[in-house]
Formats: sequence, structure tokens, C-alpha cells
Amino acid sequence: MYTLITGLYKQWTQKEEFYVIILGLDNAGKTTLLERIKSIYLGVAGLPPEKIAPTVGLNIGKVEINNTRLNFWDLGGQRELHSIWEKYYSECHAIVFVVDATDKERIEEVKETFETVITNDTVEGVPVLMLANKQDVPSALKVHEIKEIFNPIALRLGARDSKVLPVSALKGDGVQEAVDWLFVRLQRNRTNRPPIFRN
Amino acid sequence: MGAIFSRLFSRLWGSKEVRILILGLDGAGKTTILYRFQIGEVVTTIPTVGFNVETVTYKNIKFQVWDLGGQTSIRPYWRCYYANTDAIIYVVDSQDRDRVGTSKEELVAMLEEEELRDAALLVLANKQDMEGAMSHTEVSDALGLTSLRNRTWTIYKCSAKTGEGLTEALDWLVNVVSGGKK
Repeated sequence: MYTLITGLYKQWTQKEEFYVIILGLDNAGKTTLLERIKSIYLGVAGLPPEKIAPTVGLNIGKVEINNTRLNFWDLGGQRELHSIWEKYYSECHAIVFVVDATDKERIEEVKETFETVITNDTVEGVPVLMLANKQDVPSALKVHEIKEIFNPIALRLGARDSKVLPVSALKGDGVQEAVDWLFVRLQRNRTNRPPIFRN
Repeated sequence: MGAIFSRLFSRLWGSKEVRILILGLDGAGKTTILYRFQIGEVVTTIPTVGFNVETVTYKNIKFQVWDLGGQTSIRPYWRCYYANTDAIIYVVDSQDRDRVGTSKEELVAMLEEEELRDAALLVLANKQDMEGAMSHTEVSDALGLTSLRNRTWTIYKCSAKTGEGLTEALDWLVNVVSGGKK
């Protein structure tokens, strides 16, 4: 009887947790995005964007939606740090890939980096959300332009859920939609990558 | 009314107090870093037995910095200082390749402590002015930092002797403790 009740209690109070990694080249706006997510969902004032320095280690953000916890891992985007990304692949439930849509010169580099990420076997089937960031700048590439650029490698995405969305991490536009998209896909992909349960 | 004013006053001009621990093996350069932070100069140090504590004010934040002795025999006492710590500065002698394994063991053991669960981690790869020093990626690999999952961390290369990298490191600490990033 006791076991039954404690079992039920545990079942009732346990929380599902998902892990999402935020990747992209340096200066794409990953940490700004994370701070924006935190300020929207936690109601705390995030770090002002002008104070954000290039990330070297790991920034974390924990957000709760519908009794489910989303943990964001924001990793450094500089070239020599890309090798760190792989260490998080086996434990992540989704990938957010942030693109600086105003930096047309580096778009080829973005493409190569993105291809390396999605073709890694460890993340096969994991939902990928590409964010065309810095949409507050008028000259930024629009979603359809980004899609055109990335179309040639879209085939390599395989059967996973993927999407390109416009955001401005600076102003906060589109951030909520992005998290909503993620939330649905995380649930949908749960047989492939089951959540972690924590009491 | 007075209370409202004084609260407003302290929010505008008062400084927040933050508790920081500086840890690492003996000879890593903890005490030199502490005094670099505090008086901006290189001081001659002797091995710390016990601790040094200083208050460093930077960008309106008051850091209460505890520098604990790093010798093998006194490392067990580190844990007495863990409670209410906001951030840990872990100093590594980048030239000491032989003992970086020991440094990792101490770090891992420390991070398992419940009292430090919410503390952010700043690793300083010190002694970059010396020839043959490991780069910060080498140090981060050697310490296994990339296997950390639930902690905000960063690594900076620095030299307590020349002062290189220390301002950046302090700026990161300010961000972490003020932005609620941990």
C-alpha cells in the first residue's frame, strides 16, 4: 500500500525535462537569444545585449512550460569551440541553430557548419530549428532567402522535423513562436528521444 | 517614506554583495590573483595556510573574495567555506602538465557538493606568460569541463603576473551574478 501511494505520488510530482542546444557561428546572437528566452519565460530582466561577451564555456537557461522543463545549453560559437558541440549531441532533444541574417559574407561558412551538425549520426532524427536572427535590421536576409540558400542541403536533414523561423533576439520578436515550435516537436519526437524524468 | 527612499537609494547607488571562492592547487597563483583584483599589483606571496579574504568592488558590485590555501593537507577544509557561494574561481597553473590530473580530481569532487550546486564556475588558465603553457582549450579538455551539464561555466587564459585576461574574467563574473545567468 505504501509503495503504491509513494509510487503514485512520484508519478504525480515528477517532471519531464528536455535539453535543447543552441548552436551557430560566433556573433550570431545565441546568448542574446537565451537571455531573451529567460526574460520572457522567467520574468527576470535578462542581461542587456551590449554587455554580452563572446561565450567560451556554457550558459544555461531553465524554463518551465506546461509543467515540463526545457533546459537550454548555449555554447560558444567560435571555430575552435565547435569540437565541444558534439559532446552534447547524445543528450540533446532538439537543436536550435542561430544564423546572423545580416552577415551575408559568412553565409557559406554557416552552410558548411550547419551541414556538419545535421549530418552527425548522434543527432539523427533530432528536430532542428533554424532561426534567421537580427530581423530588426532591414537589410537582413528574409526567411525565404535563407531557405533558398539552404535548400541544396535540406535533403540531408532526413526525416526529422525542421523549420526556419525569423526572429529578433534583440527585440524579442518571434522568440515565443520559436519556443512554441520547439515544445511541440519535442513532444512529437519523444519516442525517439524520451524526456528525462526528475522528481 | 524614509524606508522607500533608502531602498531606492540603495538600488541606485548601493552595491550588491557577492561571495566568491578562489580555489585551485598550491602554487596555481590564487593569492597573486586575489591581490591583482584588489590592489592591481603583483605582490610577493608565500604559500597560504588558512585563507585570505578581501573585498573587491568592481562595477558597483562588492565581491567578497576568499582565497583558500591549496596544499594537499588543507584542501579538505575547502568545504567549510562552500555555503552561500555565488561563484567559484578555479585557478590552474597552465604550465604544470603533471598535476593537471590532480587538479581535475579536486575540481570534480568539489562540484559534486550540494552546497555548490548553483555556483557558477570561472576557470582561469593562469601563467600564460610562461613558455610551454597549455592553451585554454587544452586546460578545458584536461579538466573535463565539457562534461558539465547543469552549470554555467567559462574559461579564460590569464597571467596574474602581467594582468592579462583578468579584467575580462571579472566582467564575466559581474554578468553572471547580476544577470541571474546561473
